[in-house]
Amino acid sequence: MGNYILKRIMSIIPVFLLAALFTTGMVHLSSVDPAEAYLTAAHIQQTDEILAQKRHEFGLDQPFLVQYANSILKICQLDFGISYVSNKPVWDEVIYRIPATIQLALASILIAVLISVPLGFLAGVKKGSAIDHFSRLLSFFGASIPTFWLGYILVFFFSVKLNLFPVEGIGTWQHLVLPSITLALPLIAMYTRLLRSSVLENLQEPYVLFARTRGLKEKTIMAKHVLRIAISPMITGLGMNLGKLLTGTIIVESVFSWPGFGRYFIEAIFNRDIPVIQCYVLIAAILFILSNLLVDIIQMYIDPRISRKEGQH
Amino acid sequence: MSKGNSILNIKLFILSILILSTLLVGCSNANNGESTSKGKHDDMLTIAWPRDVGEMNPHVYNPSQLFAQSMVYEPLVSYQDGGKIKPNLATSWEISEDGKVYTFHLRKGVKFSDGTDFNAEIVKKNFDTILNNKELHSWLGFITKIAQTEVVDKNTFKLTLTEPYYPTIQELAVVRPVRFLGKAGFPKDGDTSKGIVKPVGTGPWILEKYKADEYAIYKRNENYWGEIPKVEKIKVKVIPDAETRVLAFEKGDLDMIYGEGVVSLDTFKQLKSTGKYETRVSEPIATRQLVMNTKTEQLSDERVRQALHYGFNKEELVKGVTSGLEEEADHILPTNLPYTKDIHVKLVKYNVEKAKALLDKAGWKLPKGKTVREKDGKLLEIDLMYDSAESIQKSMAETLQSEWAAIGVKLNIEGVELPDQVQRFKDNKFDINFYSNFGAPYDPHTFLNIVASEGYGFNEAISAYPNKDELIKQMAKVPQTTDEKERQQLYSSILKSIQDQGAIIPISYMKKTAIYQKNVKDFKFPANRDENPFTGISIKQ
Repeated sequence: MGNYILKRIMSIIPVFLLAALFTTGMVHLSSVDPAEAYLTAAHIQQTDEILAQKRHEFGLDQPFLVQYANSILKICQLDFGISYVSNKPVWDEVIYRIPATIQLALASILIAVLISVPLGFLAGVKKGSAIDHFSRLLSFFGASIPTFWLGYILVFFFSVKLNLFPVEGIGTWQHLVLPSITLALPLIAMYTRLLRSSVLENLQEPYVLFARTRGLKEKTIMAKHVLRIAISPMITGLGMNLGKLLTGTIIVESVFSWPGFGRYFIEAIFNRDIPVIQCYVLIAAILFILSNLLVDIIQMYIDPRISRKEGQH
Repeated sequence: MSKGNSILNIKLFILSILILSTLLVGCSNANNGESTSKGKHDDMLTIAWPRDVGEMNPHVYNPSQLFAQSMVYEPLVSYQDGGKIKPNLATSWEISEDGKVYTFHLRKGVKFSDGTDFNAEIVKKNFDTILNNKELHSWLGFITKIAQTEVVDKNTFKLTLTEPYYPTIQELAVVRPVRFLGKAGFPKDGDTSKGIVKPVGTGPWILEKYKADEYAIYKRNENYWGEIPKVEKIKVKVIPDAETRVLAFEKGDLDMIYGEGVVSLDTFKQLKSTGKYETRVSEPIATRQLVMNTKTEQLSDERVRQALHYGFNKEELVKGVTSGLEEEADHILPTNLPYTKDIHVKLVKYNVEKAKALLDKAGWKLPKGKTVREKDGKLLEIDLMYDSAESIQKSMAETLQSEWAAIGVKLNIEGVELPDQVQRFKDNKFDINFYSNFGAPYDPHTFLNIVASEGYGFNEAISAYPNKDELIKQMAKVPQTTDEKERQQLYSSILKSIQDQGAIIPISYMKKTAIYQKNVKDFKFPANRDENPFTGISIKQ
């Protein structure tokens, strides 16, 4: 298994190189001239002379490959350049904001797991029961409500009307409740359905029948065998969403004034703060790879057959 | 590994997530347990702002917020109602006869928030760091004309210009960059453009606590030389979303929402109609204008421009789109600015028949059975560009489209992003564009400067004016005038000529809005568009 993980970690390198190529090339493909964007953001009147000087400073007058090599060298030292807007190192700005986003992402994943695992499992095992219908209703709601709207609705009822939670901001656990529920609901909708159908499928498998004929207790069969195998697709989905949550909580961060990474990124787009955008794209790529890796490791833990198969390669 | 173990593993996995996230929550708990503190402080005014207040550096721009900079740092002179310039850190000043030398007598006994003295030395130190970054500040006219800064004695400071420039005093009232940082705030190399050590100012407020993207708390400066603020603290919460601001306000987390465009028009109306809150609308801060590019063939004809002006019901347009939050404008600059009060322009009132007659005269005839006028086989088709993020511009554009269709003009409206709008205006790639002037304390001289200088869009846009060269010459002369009467005459004739020839149509006077809880008293809009309104404000217990 160690070998496998090492191999997977090594595979980050080509993806990283590709992402770096993309972010370096992005500047050339986009219609925005970084020198011009810088001067606009910094509020400096543009003259041809200053523009040329800035282009030189940014290394834009060098051959593309030199620019590419330079940017990789810099990124390896965690130097993502200086933000056009704040004049501070981009890395410092990002690192300052990432913990808040991670906190929100983990809280919403936690809520999603805690609700969708029992709900989806029971809905599958007791197909057609009241709990199955309830889970279906919840899933329809969760899948069809846009997040920003759900956010406003939750705020309106639970903070303005009932005064149970704060409207916005960060600080106590109460601040975390509404935004993480907002993020979790679509996940709950998806995972509940996913787990339910996976459980239903597994119930048809011969191993269930075999276990029953062996006289195992129904509880043991369900918990030890069916759930363990049926949960696998859900974990895959979770991994994909972890990457998405870590990079894409933008709307919720903005609705709940959550001082995270996504909100910072949105502002960077409006300001055409190119170093920040580049940094975001790279970090997003790496986060996606890492969260997929994490999921694979968890999968192997739960279902050792996977790692055995990999070992044969 | 056995099967029993695997279940255990799942449990372990869930448990670890649980622990991890509670840990994270716990951490941030310890860091800012105070952030929910509204209510604990009875004498704290809490407001929301869409963006972080930024670094409290008086000498830089975006992302620092003007209102916040104006709380901590002060100017030599301040801009008051009607464009009157009042003493502030300078108690008086003299201007030499040739208009080049300004001598300021500084207020005695003023202290920075760290206890050090405010004097001519520190004024010069601030000026010098600003002048070291001239390119950064060249948009402000007088900065580029400074020849020398001089300490005459402890309380006298002398500024020498390379040429007379009358708006100097007015430009000294702007929020940035000419405000004064205490010595302890300067970095080692003295260059503040890269950052400051700490925010030391003379202003009525002192930054007490700051968390980026979350909030900033200012406490009043108990040793302030002027009127000491009535409330003890101001908390500025960063709430980027307009709807969330309103929800937080309705819940009572906020005492006030204040600013330009910080709530939508509908929300403002709705909050006002509940009767539970106080709502206020300011004096005009700027004029919303339509700028026509007279380089295009159709709009080079003054009769077409006038026809368009006569051809829409401005009063209804402004009322309908802004629900009375803006006011129909007759002048291209609001009349509460200096030198703009008595400009006798030709007033254009809605008159469809006159509009049609003017278009007929200009040769644009309506062929039978058609809806769009033609001339030499060409359709009378015009493009209007607007900022797609601005709902007011969009609604106005749509209204104009239908109004002008009635006089046989086909208006194509196009929403673009703000940077594109600015760029296309500069490049003259437009027929008609929305624009608004800067307002106090920048106008009227900045507006003239923009029209007179190449590269902003206006200069090229008025190309078809027969007296353009003469106008540009006059505009260049205005800032150099030393005689008040002559200056007024020049302003009157220039502004009248620009407006009467119809390339710039005034639409409405834009205003600031404020919504606050009933226990907030003595709120007043500042005369300077960028200043904060907090000094006189109080909260009734």
